[in-house]
Amino acid sequence: MRFRANLTAQILSGVVIVLAVLCGVVSFIGYSEFTEALELQYESKSFNMARTAATYITPGFLSATDRMSANWRFRYDIIQKEWQRLADTQDATFIYLYRRLDEEYNTYDRFEVLISVMNASAPYMVFSSGIIINDMPDVYEPAYSSLYEDGADRAVVPVYRDEFSEDEYKSGDHITVLLPIRDSQGRVLAVLGVEQQMKALQNARSTYVRHVFLATGVFLIVVLLGYGLYLKHGLLNPIRRIAEEAQRFARENTRPFVPLSQSIRLSNEIGQLAQTIDRMETDIRSYIEDLTRATREKEQIKAELHVARKIQADMLPREFPPFPDRKEFEIFATMTPAKEVGGDFYDFFFTDRDHLALVIADVSGKGVPAALFMVIAKTLIKDRAQMGGTPSEILDAVNNRLCDGNSEGFFVTVWLGILEVSTGKLTSANAGHEYPVIKRAGGMWELIKDNHSPAVAVRSGLKFRENSLELRPGDSLYLYTDGVAEATNAENDLYGTDNMTAALNRHPDEPMEELLVSMKREVDTFVGDAPQFDDITMMGLQYWGQ
Amino acid sequence: MEITKTQNGTELELALEGRLDTVTSPELEAELDKLEGVEKIVINTAKLEYISSAGLRVLLSTQKRMDRKGGSMTIRNVNEEIKEIFEVTGFDEILTLEA
Repeated sequence: MRFRANLTAQILSGVVIVLAVLCGVVSFIGYSEFTEALELQYESKSFNMARTAATYITPGFLSATDRMSANWRFRYDIIQKEWQRLADTQDATFIYLYRRLDEEYNTYDRFEVLISVMNASAPYMVFSSGIIINDMPDVYEPAYSSLYEDGADRAVVPVYRDEFSEDEYKSGDHITVLLPIRDSQGRVLAVLGVEQQMKALQNARSTYVRHVFLATGVFLIVVLLGYGLYLKHGLLNPIRRIAEEAQRFARENTRPFVPLSQSIRLSNEIGQLAQTIDRMETDIRSYIEDLTRATREKEQIKAELHVARKIQADMLPREFPPFPDRKEFEIFATMTPAKEVGGDFYDFFFTDRDHLALVIADVSGKGVPAALFMVIAKTLIKDRAQMGGTPSEILDAVNNRLCDGNSEGFFVTVWLGILEVSTGKLTSANAGHEYPVIKRAGGMWELIKDNHSPAVAVRSGLKFRENSLELRPGDSLYLYTDGVAEATNAENDLYGTDNMTAALNRHPDEPMEELLVSMKREVDTFVGDAPQFDDITMMGLQYWGQ
Repeated sequence: MEITKTQNGTELELALEGRLDTVTSPELEAELDKLEGVEKIVINTAKLEYISSAGLRVLLSTQKRMDRKGGSMTIRNVNEEIKEIFEVTGFDEILTLEA
């Protein structure tokens, strides 16, 4: 898994870098301390040897002009013998006494060897007395200078050779202590040098470096193994499990077999992450279930509403022509509900052989509540109308029935007409409904501004006013609800009765069925893309007479 | 539609602006549902453009509620368009209208 490999490499490489830097710093500090301490030790030992060696030098030995004299030779032999003993027993590589030459040129290049001894370990040739050294190495110059010019009582010169160089003359690390031999005025007469090989230091240091590297290496491996193991179990495995679980959930959308917080029992952020993912999964699952249930319920309601719409549509007379044996008139009606179920309705039926009742109505509001009220209103009107009576008597009675227990404040506008088919006499009551439209034979469509009464179910005890007019053969009547008159386009303009009568007059000679289809199309054209807010219901009657 | 509400003691005035139709009448119904301690309601229709049967139903049920608790409801500043709707539906006989 790429994710895991990368994370491990990232974390472990960080650890390696930190440990390597730490190891370098520790080595460097240890190395320096170590060097300094051993150097001091060598220095003090060399210094002691130098002081011991100096005790053998007498002023006469230095000031003597005749080096061939027996006295001088005698002293020379003693010094050489004692120094040799010192060098052999105290492990001094090289003990010597130099006299500076060319003092007047202020240089430290040329020295005369007065006396020198070496022990067996020395990598040099013995300088015999009287030999002139012409090229004193530069590294000694500051030391000599401090003795001759600053009056120092000793000088130390440690010389480290590059351990990795291929130098043939490699003398190894060594330290030289220089001691001035002065006269009574403090002038330096000669310089006594003791050189010691720092073999122990050299060995110890390379051993130390080897050990430090070895120890750090072992430590590094142990730490990496331990830390890697810890990372794997404490960090990477849990994170991998969380990542796998998140992927699984995204794929399957189901609750896990074992919740993450049970397989990852950590109190740190990873444990919290596991708990959060558990909670998130549970929440998402329950949201999905809720949504599924809600969607199912919505679908169910939609299906039920569809059935309700069909039932409602079936309640309205829909077979045309409805009375094929009656040739005195033609009737046609349509209803287009705005929602699945609507509050508009129309109805027509004979109350006896000669009287045709015409009803068009609009219940306030829409949807299921309006549809329920519509069913009651329609049933009550038809029942009451079939018992006989004038339109106002019928509406008076229906109004009182509908007012009982109408706490929701529903009301219904009704236009109810009763046509005496034999004579064409039409009595009607308009309970808050739109004005009917009439077209006399050969004339134009125009509104009948009939006497209005309040809508049905507004208040009990209402008396409804009656209107009457006479239809003559060839006359037509157009009834509609506010879905037509108050159809609204996208600019919020109302269709209005003026537009409506103008539209009716554009189709003067169409039979009722075609006229209603044309009128629906006229309204649709006006409304355009705006949604249909109201039920659109129309009913048309053409009277032919006997 | 916009409803501006002003309460003055037990008198509540609601100024309606725009169209009171199927879509907007539930807003008015919600406003009129909280009528604790209101004895007089004034509906200002000066800026109302249109009222549908759903809007009329809200006014009617409020009128009935106020009748039951002995309060009153007045429709104020009824303009020509609204007046015509009230007349056609016969609501001018049921509601108390002020020009």
